[in-house]
Amino acid sequence: MKIIVPWSFLLLFLLSCDNKTAKENTTVDTKQKDTVSISKSENNVNPYAQNDISPMDMSYFPVDYPKLKMTKPTLNPPLARVVYSRPHLQGRELFHDVLKYGEPWRLGANEATELDLYSDATIQGKKIKAGRYILYCIPRQDKWDLVLNSNIDSWGLQQDPSLDIARFTIPVTKTANSLEFFTMVFLQSAAGADLIMAWDNVEAKLPISF
Amino acid sequence: MKKLIGLIIVFQLFFTCLLAQTALPPVDKSPMDMSYYPNNYPVLKIQDKITDELTARVVYSRPQKAGRPIFGGLVKYGEVWRMGANEATEIEFFKNVRIGGKKISKGRYTLYAIVNENSWTFIVNKETDTWGSFKYNVKRDVIRTDVIPQKMDAPVESLAMGFEKTQTGCNLVIAWDNIKVALPISF
Repeated sequence: MKIIVPWSFLLLFLLSCDNKTAKENTTVDTKQKDTVSISKSENNVNPYAQNDISPMDMSYFPVDYPKLKMTKPTLNPPLARVVYSRPHLQGRELFHDVLKYGEPWRLGANEATELDLYSDATIQGKKIKAGRYILYCIPRQDKWDLVLNSNIDSWGLQQDPSLDIARFTIPVTKTANSLEFFTMVFLQSAAGADLIMAWDNVEAKLPISF
Repeated sequence: MKKLIGLIIVFQLFFTCLLAQTALPPVDKSPMDMSYYPNNYPVLKIQDKITDELTARVVYSRPQKAGRPIFGGLVKYGEVWRMGANEATEIEFFKNVRIGGKKISKGRYTLYAIVNENSWTFIVNKETDTWGSFKYNVKRDVIRTDVIPQKMDAPVESLAMGFEKTQTGCNLVIAWDNIKVALPISF
């Protein structure tokens, strides 16, 4: 691992020199460890917008809302949506190759992970107004601090605690199978939805009621 | 009896795995991406380098050419296209803008296009959070505007969208295969 780290930085350096039109042509290393670029295929050479090693994705609640809407045009508006990027393990172990206990993590890669609430919600007894938010977390071995923050449209590397709206301590569980790609999804619950955050063999769950 | 219990455990494991797989989505073949105007706004924001106010964001999926003829082939001429894959392409304006001479209020919209060989019709539509263009409803249109596409020498493998600054605002540039098209947005 000690050997890999400097080499991957060198690789990052070479790649960034190689590509002047890269999406993040800035002085700051905007990628950081959760999105180490190892494999760059020919497909990634795109003069307009680079394909990302950690692709973006979105999950709705109700689950698969856009598809549901096709079959039920009179469906009520959606309740929530998460827009996030999906880094992958690429042979690394989540803890401590990628993330460290006690250090804030953007819950994804690239842009800060966005939670859109289309309706007022309650999380652990706190009323959260409908609106756009970002999420980040501070992972620990047996629990995570999940933070709802108002610094929307920002890059995920820098968290500004002065814009925190609420902090929630949530339990994490170990799963039997390892997930290669970081995954966020809503699952229906009795009170509303559980926002599942899963990667490697760790799964965290934030219950939300609507 | 032991065999039976063993079998039950195997089945349970099988179904647990199956459930786990249906709950957690795999990575998409046509990954999603977003572009902001001003370009790289989120990075500029954490670097305290913002000079222009946040104006627009497009969220779209990026299908690949994969050797196929795209315009007139995969994307049929004259049909409403979701300009991507999966969820319909979403464009959000963070302030009022003008497209095709008409005012568009700040908010979230769905962006479709009707592609023809010599002209693209862009459609800004109010029906958000929708899949594809299967349930496209003309009654929810906000504006339609025509733009002339340009041919490029080097084909682009993955559908790409980005903004470029213009004198009157910005263009949303869309490029795929050997076609590039710019939708002017003024503000």
